[in-house]
Amino acid sequence: MSERPVVDRLTCVLCPVGCELEVGKDAAGEIQVQGNQCDKGLPFAVEEVLHPKRNLATSVPLGGTAARMVSVRLTRTVPREMLFPILKEIAKLRPEAPVRRGQVLIPDVLGTGADVIATRSVA
Amino acid sequence: MMAERIETCDVAVIGGGPAGLAAALGARRAGAGSVVLIERDRTLGGILNQCIHDGFGLFLYKETISGPEYAERLIEDVARESIKVEAGAMVLDLAPDRLLRVNARQGYRLIRAGAVVLAMGCRERTREMIEIPGTRPAGIFTAGSAQNLVNLQNLRIGHEAVILGSGDIGLIMARRLAFEGVAVKGVFEILPWASGLERNVRQCLMDFAIPLELGSTVVEIRGRDRVESVVVAKVDGALAPVAGTERAIPCDTLLLSVGLIPENELSKRAGIELSPLTGGAVVDETLMTSVEGVFSCGNVLHIHDVADRASFEGFAAGKRAARFAAGERAAARTVRVSAGSNVRYALPQLLTAGKAGVEWSFRVTRPMRSVSIEIKGRTSGRIYARKKFPRLLPSELQKLKVSEAIEEDIEVAGHE
Repeated sequence: MSERPVVDRLTCVLCPVGCELEVGKDAAGEIQVQGNQCDKGLPFAVEEVLHPKRNLATSVPLGGTAARMVSVRLTRTVPREMLFPILKEIAKLRPEAPVRRGQVLIPDVLGTGADVIATRSVA
Repeated sequence: MMAERIETCDVAVIGGGPAGLAAALGARRAGAGSVVLIERDRTLGGILNQCIHDGFGLFLYKETISGPEYAERLIEDVARESIKVEAGAMVLDLAPDRLLRVNARQGYRLIRAGAVVLAMGCRERTREMIEIPGTRPAGIFTAGSAQNLVNLQNLRIGHEAVILGSGDIGLIMARRLAFEGVAVKGVFEILPWASGLERNVRQCLMDFAIPLELGSTVVEIRGRDRVESVVVAKVDGALAPVAGTERAIPCDTLLLSVGLIPENELSKRAGIELSPLTGGAVVDETLMTSVEGVFSCGNVLHIHDVADRASFEGFAAGKRAARFAAGERAAARTVRVSAGSNVRYALPQLLTAGKAGVEWSFRVTRPMRSVSIEIKGRTSGRIYARKKFPRLLPSELQKLKVSEAIEEDIEVAGHE
């Protein structure tokens, strides 16, 4: 195992413990992970190396205002390369008050399966 | 002259952020009859309102949500309890006999509290405090003020930014600015390690190919009306800039994420003993300060890594404040707790002799691997608790519990 080539060293971001993971491949080409302190670490590391996924947060002004802001996020993580295309969609939003926390502003944004939701209520 | 009317309450909580909201709830749930929650801003929630990124609530709600959602949930809990919320009210003075002078919307008022919980949070270090030489142009922001301008006021703060300091807010703002189309030229950190959480280094910098330069700092700010460039340089082992390593980076914006300071002006007015290590009050295992009946929690006590832990401390402080208001008194706090090798501080710093089941919060002074943290008797040399950690970082607030009773002064230390 010692000659196993290291593919990536990364920090697990699922919780603030931040395990240091070492991702490599064994002789058969299977992905091997070391350093995870919990079960979530293994699928995380494989996904992080092959298809990293992220959430995003931004804020948009309410319709008819310049500076009354509603913060938004996604209901689930999306492939990292979708962040900027999704931000462009969110930038078109001008939600009308009242807005409820958790209200869906864009369902299934760009077909990612993630909804854009408001993260604060504005009367 | 008319005598000033003094209102009374069981527990007064100063500050309505993640710690103060929890303290008010903790006090109510522990049976305090009248709880007043005093917040300087017009709305509750504190800094959570501008922290729109996710990562909050993992410990308290067992899911990851944004700052505003975390705040709203706590605020809804507060609204369900009979807690009197005074928003837009500033506590001007706190006397050792727990008399609060408050400038509220309805005017100046006096409140006498059975117990007080301090939850005023912290503020950011500024350019002046770290003495960066150069001109004084526009375009220099603390990371948190930039966060407020971008997230809550919809303002563009610049086009090309350099970030000094790798605190979490700075890292999060690097990503936020990248989202808003600002070119982030780099994050410069004077220490040989990042001071923010590792997940933020990966998600906020590496994801956007923003360089992180360790062991370097900004030595000059240039520009007349607006920042035109900053000069960065490598530093030596004593953190002094190395001559000949300077290079100018063109930019119009400099963000500072160079540390947080507990906001203890009121605590000082009340004569509360502060720790030079934490910048917050010296407390015992009930989170009571050196002034009887005044408790402290959250970032005003010591800087936390995540909001959830500030809230947990708030719940505990609120509960203890309620018990104090109901007449419960602790025995003399005679055990002194000190930080030994590789430990920057351990909290609480005082302990009632014979107390068992106390949990300490601590931070290490530098990144360490396979380290053993020990809580040791200073007289007997006895080890009361020992825990091995594969890795410890100064950015992480850690905990260690002692189950047995302690009668002597103790020291919290780490060994690799």
